Amino acid sequence: MKIRLKLISTYRELLPKGTQGNKIEIDVPEGTRVSDVMTQFNVPQDDSSVIVVNGLTVPLSTILVEDDEVTAFSAIAGG
Amino acid sequence: MNGWHGRILRVDLTNQTTSAEDIDPKIARDYLGGRGWAIRYLTDEVDPMVEPLDPENKLIFATGPLTATSAPTGNRYMVVTKSPLTGALAHSNSGGDFPTWMKRTGFDLFIFEGRAEKPVYLWVNEDEVEIRSAEHLWGQDVPSTTDALLAETNPKAKAACIGPAGENLVLMAAIMNDKDRAAARSGVGAVMGSKNLKGVVAYGRKNPVFAEEKKMRELSIKIAKEVGADMLAGSSLREHGTAYVPQVTNTLGILPTRNWQAGTFEGVDTIDGPTLTEKYLIKPKPCYRCPIACGRLTEVPDGPYAGKGEGPEYETISSFGSGCGVDNLAAITKANYWCNELGLDTISTGMTIAVAMEMFEKGYLSEEEIGQPLRFGDPDAMIDMVQKMAYREGFGNELAEGSYRFADKYGHPELAVTTRKQEFPGYDPRGSQGMGLLYATSNKGASHMEGDVAYEEVFGVPVKADPHSTDGKAELVKRFQDAFTLIDASGLCVFLAVRYVFSADRMIWPVRLSQLMEYTTGIAYTPKEVLEAADRVYTLERMFLLKAGSTEDTLPPRMLNEPLPDGPAKGQVNRLDDMLPEFYKERGWDENGWPTEEKLKELGLE
Ligand code: SF4
Repeated sequence: MKIRLKLISTYRELLPKGTQGNKIEIDVPEGTRVSDVMTQFNVPQDDSSVIVVNGLTVPLSTILVEDDEVTAFSAIAGG
Repeated sequence: MNGWHGRILRVDLTNQTTSAEDIDPKIARDYLGGRGWAIRYLTDEVDPMVEPLDPENKLIFATGPLTATSAPTGNRYMVVTKSPLTGALAHSNSGGDFPTWMKRTGFDLFIFEGRAEKPVYLWVNEDEVEIRSAEHLWGQDVPSTTDALLAETNPKAKAACIGPAGENLVLMAAIMNDKDRAAARSGVGAVMGSKNLKGVVAYGRKNPVFAEEKKMRELSIKIAKEVGADMLAGSSLREHGTAYVPQVTNTLGILPTRNWQAGTFEGVDTIDGPTLTEKYLIKPKPCYRCPIACGRLTEVPDGPYAGKGEGPEYETISSFGSGCGVDNLAAITKANYWCNELGLDTISTGMTIAVAMEMFEKGYLSEEEIGQPLRFGDPDAMIDMVQKMAYREGFGNELAEGSYRFADKYGHPELAVTTRKQEFPGYDPRGSQGMGLLYATSNKGASHMEGDVAYEEVFGVPVKADPHSTDGKAELVKRFQDAFTLIDASGLCVFLAVRYVFSADRMIWPVRLSQLMEYTTGIAYTPKEVLEAADRVYTLERMFLLKAGSTEDTLPPRMLNEPLPDGPAKGQVNRLDDMLPEFYKERGWDENGWPTEEKLKELGLE
């Protein structure tokens, strides 16, 4: 199934080289969890990241469904 | 005294005299400095019912005990007065160089009273203080005024001044320092203009003396090293300034769009930080000795919006960008340059224009009334309005009163998204519940700078809070209000303080801040004591605005009754009523929001 991954600001660097903008579409197997995608793209999964699915705060163990959008950014900066 | 100088410069503009006085050591300790000292003096000397633009109002510039010290970001000052925009309290914060230079004059506070008959500026060279004519500068913009002030005094000095907006008593006029830094909110520039005070120039070598020099240096270095390591690891604030935030708020569906009619903006990719960095950034610009350097020195090299200056920050992008439906970053940047040059608050200016755009599109305002069409997404009409507002020209004269007064006059006050008549900053409280409680109860009207719980609800610092939940938000808002009061009283910048100076547990316990205060002042402050002092300051401010008649803690109807139509927070409104009673209890206030006798006694405010 296809999902979208958006990595904001400094996390953009974790997207594959040559990516335009901050978003990619990826194919993942059924049953993929948020944490699996984060591991695949080396996004830290501790307090130093904010990770949301479709803009909502969910546990990292949440199983993704087709067309979900996972977004992560560094919590280091603050606003 | 250590840390503080313990001296206040009083400037009587009516009689053109100045005098120095000492501060009572008990007030010094109990009210910490900066914002804390200022509210104590304002309360003691100004009737809360005073007309804000009358000579009886006073204007206070206040540095903190950590201003001009080795503590990283110890470069801030506060401007405190009664606000002409909100009719309540104004306390606006700014960094740059001027606050450090002000403290080095040997005074912690400048108190301006009365009104000069003709335009003047103040030149403070340590104990040599002069009130000089500024008649030749009246009408000039901020950059030329600043250049002239320094040329006439000392090129090594630093200056704060107003532009045409402050002179014309525009209710969202800012006080600009070092040309591009702003004590922006609540119309403090109009109060300065009402006093015929065009500028303030400061120079001196009186660095504050530390009680414990060695410990102070060690802790400052330790903090600076931690910041440095984060900067090396990659910091959004350093790389993109706060301009990286539109992507974050857009993802959460709380990016104010077309006057808060939506929470996501289709043009977000063209107005965000990486775009700014790639196209217009010359270099990051730090305030004095700041290791973070979130400021942006930028240039739009060519085209209709060509120019050079500082900005934009997130708030400016969300007001002039998504707020006005404008997806052209060069135009937003140009609007920012104009605000800096004319001396306007970018949040209130952009958000007021956004209200006018909605009223025009809905047919509540005609082309004849405005003098031109004013549609969402029209950058030229937007920029034109900025200039007209500063000079109160044509329809700009209506907008210069702020969105609430002008929308009310034209029959649609419900479209003004304000509390206490001050425009919201860029976080939609329908999708971040705690921010709604904060805006509704802030002493200075809607503001993120009075306890920015977006740190937890949006940015996950120090921990992530669910923005859609109201659970625990009463306690969270109280905790952040006290923490920010403490930061503002100390003289540090919030960007540093929240992450590095408070310990990263849920209590944001100010261990390091109390240590910095202790090493600086020699007073053995505990974390509990500094928080108590912050509570005292916050509560005294609250009393000032209640006595000024500003008693209603609420949100505009759009936030309470119109669900967000899009994004992750779709269908939600702000549930203020679920949080407010608990919040009053947290603060020790009665069910009407008045501090109880018991609370006042506990804080020594009876
Ligand atoms: S973090 Fe930004 S606003 Fe704060 S002191 Fe540093 S440069 Fe100035």
